[in-house]
Parts: sequence; C-alpha cells; structure tokens
Amino acid sequence: MDNSDRLLEVEGLKKYFPIRKGFLRRTVNHVRAVDDVSFFIERGETLSLVGESGCGKTTTARCILRAVEPSGGTIRFRPKDGKPVEITAVPRSQLRPLRRQIQMIFQDPFSSLNPRMTLFDNIGEPLLVNGMTNREERMERVSELLERVQLAPEYMNRYPHAFSGGQRQRVGIARALALNPSLIVADEPVSALDVSVQAQIVNLMLDLQDELGVTYLFVAHDLSVVKHMSDRVAVMYVGKIVEVAETTTLFKDPKHPYTEALLSAVPKPDPRLRSQRIVLEGDVADPANPPPGCYFHPRCSYAVDVCKQESPHLNEITAGHFVSCHRAAEITLRGVTE
Amino acid sequence: MMQSAQNGAEPILSVRNLKTYFFQDEGVVRAVDGASFDMYPGHTLGIVGESGCGKSVTALSVLQILARTARIEEGEIWLRRSNDNGQAERIDLTKLDADGKTMRSIRGGEIGLVFQEPMTSFSAFHTVGNQIIEAVRLHQALNKQQAREKAVELLRMVGVPQPERRIDEYPFQLSGGLRQRVMIAMALSGDPDILIADEPTTALDVTTQAQILDLLRSLQEQEGLSIILITHDMGVIAEMVDDVVVMYLGRVVERGPVDDIFHDPQHPYTKALLRSIPSIMASPRTRLSTITGSIPHPYNRPQGCPFYPRCPDFMPGICDRHVPGLQPSSDQRAVSCFLYNKPEPAAAADISQG
Repeated sequence: MDNSDRLLEVEGLKKYFPIRKGFLRRTVNHVRAVDDVSFFIERGETLSLVGESGCGKTTTARCILRAVEPSGGTIRFRPKDGKPVEITAVPRSQLRPLRRQIQMIFQDPFSSLNPRMTLFDNIGEPLLVNGMTNREERMERVSELLERVQLAPEYMNRYPHAFSGGQRQRVGIARALALNPSLIVADEPVSALDVSVQAQIVNLMLDLQDELGVTYLFVAHDLSVVKHMSDRVAVMYVGKIVEVAETTTLFKDPKHPYTEALLSAVPKPDPRLRSQRIVLEGDVADPANPPPGCYFHPRCSYAVDVCKQESPHLNEITAGHFVSCHRAAEITLRGVTE
Repeated sequence: MMQSAQNGAEPILSVRNLKTYFFQDEGVVRAVDGASFDMYPGHTLGIVGESGCGKSVTALSVLQILARTARIEEGEIWLRRSNDNGQAERIDLTKLDADGKTMRSIRGGEIGLVFQEPMTSFSAFHTVGNQIIEAVRLHQALNKQQAREKAVELLRMVGVPQPERRIDEYPFQLSGGLRQRVMIAMALSGDPDILIADEPTTALDVTTQAQILDLLRSLQEQEGLSIILITHDMGVIAEMVDDVVVMYLGRVVERGPVDDIFHDPQHPYTKALLRSIPSIMASPRTRLSTITGSIPHPYNRPQGCPFYPRCPDFMPGICDRHVPGLQPSSDQRAVSCFLYNKPEPAAAADISQG
C-alpha cells in the first residue's frame, strides 16, 4: 500500500505517566494517558481529535511534537521534500529541523505570547532561531505574516497586552506559520474565545489551509467547531481511539455508542429541537484503574457480557470508518442530521 | 410589559434600569448600564452575552456581592418574598445594607447561587459535608446532627451516589460533575425560591453538562424553583430557558420568549450572534458568518448605541449620536434599536457623557 500522501502516521502510541508513592518514590501504578493509539493524517487535510477532558487528546498531540516523550509506539512523519522521519527515534539534540516542520497553536492566547516582547519579536523569534539573522529580512517576513492573519503590519512594534483575545490568537497563528510548517497542531485554539471572535478564527484557519495547503491536527472538545473545521474526526475515550471516520459519516452515522452519546449531549441552538438527550450515567473511567473489557462498558446502554471481558479493537467496518466496539455491526445508532 | 402573557402572574424578581459601575484608577467601567428584566415564578430566565457584557455583574448585583470597587449607581431590584410574619411584600434589594441582616438572609436563603468553577468555590480544607452543614445552619435552626441529615438529603436530591460516604470527602476527591452537584446542593440548602446559576456548565465536559442541565430541570419541576441561567452558550439557552435577555456592553439589547429570540430575532446583535455560532448540523468545512471587529474595550465605549461600530444596519447620524432605549416591540418582547424605534428629535441630548 502506498502511503506517500500520508503526512503523519501514528502507530501503537503509548504514554504512561508513573504514579509514585512513599519515601523511595517507587512506581506503584501508571496513568495510561495514551494507550495504543493509531491514526494517520493525509497531506492538506484536517484531522480532529475529540474527546472529554482527560481522554488523552492533548497528550497525543504533545507526543507528536516530542513535547512529552512517548512510552511506546512509532510516529512517522513524511515531509514533502525529504526522507520520512521516525519522530520517536530522533535524538533530542536533533529535533530542531523537525520542529520547523511541525508547529503548534495553543489554547490561551493570553499566556502563549511573551508579554515583554513586541509582536515583531514574538513572531520573528522562530525565524531568528532558525537562522534568519538579517533584521530587515525578518521585518519583511513578519509584516507579510501579519497581513496573512489580517492584522495591520504597523502593529509590529506593539506589545501583546494592546490586543484583544482574537487578535492575540491571530498573532499565535502568524508565529506558527513563520517557518512554513507542513503540519500545525492546534490544541483547542478557539475554546477561550467569544463566539463572534471564534467564528473569525475558524474562518481564518480554513482560509489559510486553502491558501497554503497546510495540514492541521485539530484538538478540540467542541463538536460544533469540529464539524466546521475537519475532514476527518477521531474520537478518544480514556486514552484510546474508539472511532475514526470522515466528518459527515461520523456525525450522521456514528457506530460507537460513546460517539452517539457525545453527539446527543451537544445542546442544539434551536429551542424547537429540545431533544431526548442520551444522558450517560456516572463518570469517565479512571485511566489508572480502567475497568476490564471495553473501557466504556459501565456507561454503555448497549453493553453485553463480552464487553465486560474482552477489550475491542479498532476495526475498519466500511472504507475509512474505523470503530472499536464489539457490537458495531449489530446496533443502530442515532446521529445528527444536517 | 411581559406580564400579560404570563397568565397575569407577578414577577418574583424585577430589575429596573440597573446601573453597576466599577470605579478604578484608570476610569469608570460601566459594567451594567441600564439593565431591566422580569423573572416569573417557576420559570427559567436566560441571560446571554459575550465576555464583558455585564451578565455576571448583573447577578452579583442582585445578591450584592460586588467587588469593593463596584457600586450600584442607579436602579431598582424588586424581590417578592414573604416577610417574617409570613405576609407577602416587595422589597428593593438595592436599598438594603449589603451586610445587613435582611440581605444576609436573602443571600443563600431565598436566592441561591451556583458558580462556574466548583473547584475554586469550595474551601479545599473542609469536607464538602461540613461546608454544606455550615450553609444549612446559617439559614435554619438545626443542631449538627439534624443539619448533617439535611445535608445527606440534599446530596441525594442532586444525585450524588452514596451520599452518606461522599459527605465526608474533600472537594479534590470529587470529579468535576460531582463537585458541581455538591455546589448545587449547597445553593439549595436554604430552600431558595430563586437559583442564580452563573455559567454552571461552562467548565464541564459535554456529557457531564447534559447531566447537570437535566438535574437543574428536574429540580425546577420538583421544587418549583425560578432559575436565572447566565451563559455565553446559545445552545444551553435554547435547551433550557423560557425567556431570554440578550446583553451587550452592559445593556439589554433584546429580550423575549426563547422561541422568538431564536426564530425571529430583532436586534442586529442577536441576529449576528445567532448566525456566528458553529452548528453541529452544518456541512463540514463551511465558513461561519462573523461579526466584524471585536467587543470594544470598557474604557472606550462608543458614543450612541454600543453596537453601532460593528452593526450591519448602522444608520449614520442616528446610531452614533443617540442611545437607544429598550422599547416593547410586542406584548412579550422588547428591543433596543433605532430600526424599530426612531429617536425623538427632542432626544438629541440623549448621549450620556462618559
């Protein structure tokens, strides 16, 4: 199989955080934050990782940047001009060329910019670090980037405090774009913004993708924003991917009971659609002590005996639609109509 | 105004022309600048708006728990209650001493409050049980044992599993959803008539949010609570409330029944806000409709209508020179916009100096 149009391939990724106790700080258990996660992202597309807090979506994203060290698995990255790189095998000292290719946009535009640096320094720093030492050259590039994110180049000499949340997020995007990366990992980039500003940033990100062909890994919990942003969606629950499909398919025809419950829990902005929501009982499983079998079975209304004993695997049930559920073939679930 | 449609019921809470200002070294922030609305018994009123619109300060003004720099400058907050002799009376909360006996018995007694962030609203050093028991005994003459029984009862009512065990746990031992349930139990400890919930589900995951919204709804049915739900989330408003108050920069721009607000919005801001929310029912990769510009800085309020710099229906010479007032547009609705109510020529001096 030719995988050359896959920019990123993640296989069996694991990240276990140790729980230490006692005087000797002995490891007594592990939090399985990411537990055997596999997915791929094609060039130029947006893959969204969705799930609730603690499901491991952010840890997965950070493993890709090697901001945290994975405990196991492989992450293969195929830059357009160059050899495939095994991200997990690169020594720490040689990560810089890789990080030029993979950039990040953060959630909080208030704490992700240096308040003592002007926009020019904030955006220009990655350029300087990567060898663009000529100040004139940098100024030209920064003003070009500011225009790209629809900010006036004259703002270059101002400090972040002079800007609103939405404008700061634009600055964060400009900085991520500075080195022409092929992959941008965006971790909840619009969650901290007001609705009217959120819409502007979503549109900007879609426009930039059309213009520059950049690939996004979009980490989010808001399924409505995800619907607007993504080509494909991966749903995570307690460190595992439970379902992956094209956006339309996943929303219209979910195959995992957790996806169904997530979709049904989103409040619809129309009082005439006050629906019979599926309200899940109980809380998300503890990733340090997950239940046996399928991690979702204690909350799943479709669970049968096999779900309590055997953990399901991610199977491709139709082309491009992967589900990790013993009963995926036999149950009919409710999605969202367009 | 809204009275006729509510079967002649009298509002339990009426806010009239409320102005709450913050006096800071840099200047005066008019956080709430003339808000008026009514809330009817057993109803849910939603106050919606973006950050800085004054929705939370409105709630804090009702309870008089404002920051030291803030002051209610003008306006009335009428609460209908039964006094110590059991007779019905209406009192203006703004006339009460914030630290006085009456206000303290109303706060947490007749009006309960649920905050957004349950982790920071609890003391980390006391068990949740002790914190509820303290709240119970503030408002009711019960001994410790009776108060503990009442606390267990409250926890059971809000759906905390094994309340006899959970009551002795500390807040950090509970999940976010459970903490919010305990917070609601505490707000209910004084048997309130009104529950003010300020972004009660914003910090929660979507499946937990669904649980908490269900809980609020069933509590309302059982206890006949009147709920003021403050949120920025139009989805939560659509799911939960009867009447909506839309705020922008400290002013009520529109109010009315929830179906009208969503299906026949009148104010340009309401329209724009509704268009800009991402929908789970949209086609993938569709652009969102946006509102140009951003919310003005509180020290830089525009003259005239606060929304005119971003408004698609801006009428030069009118919107930037006069401040629109909230005018009834039907028997249940009101809107504050010159598209519906042209300014009187004599009202040219309408612009407030600031």
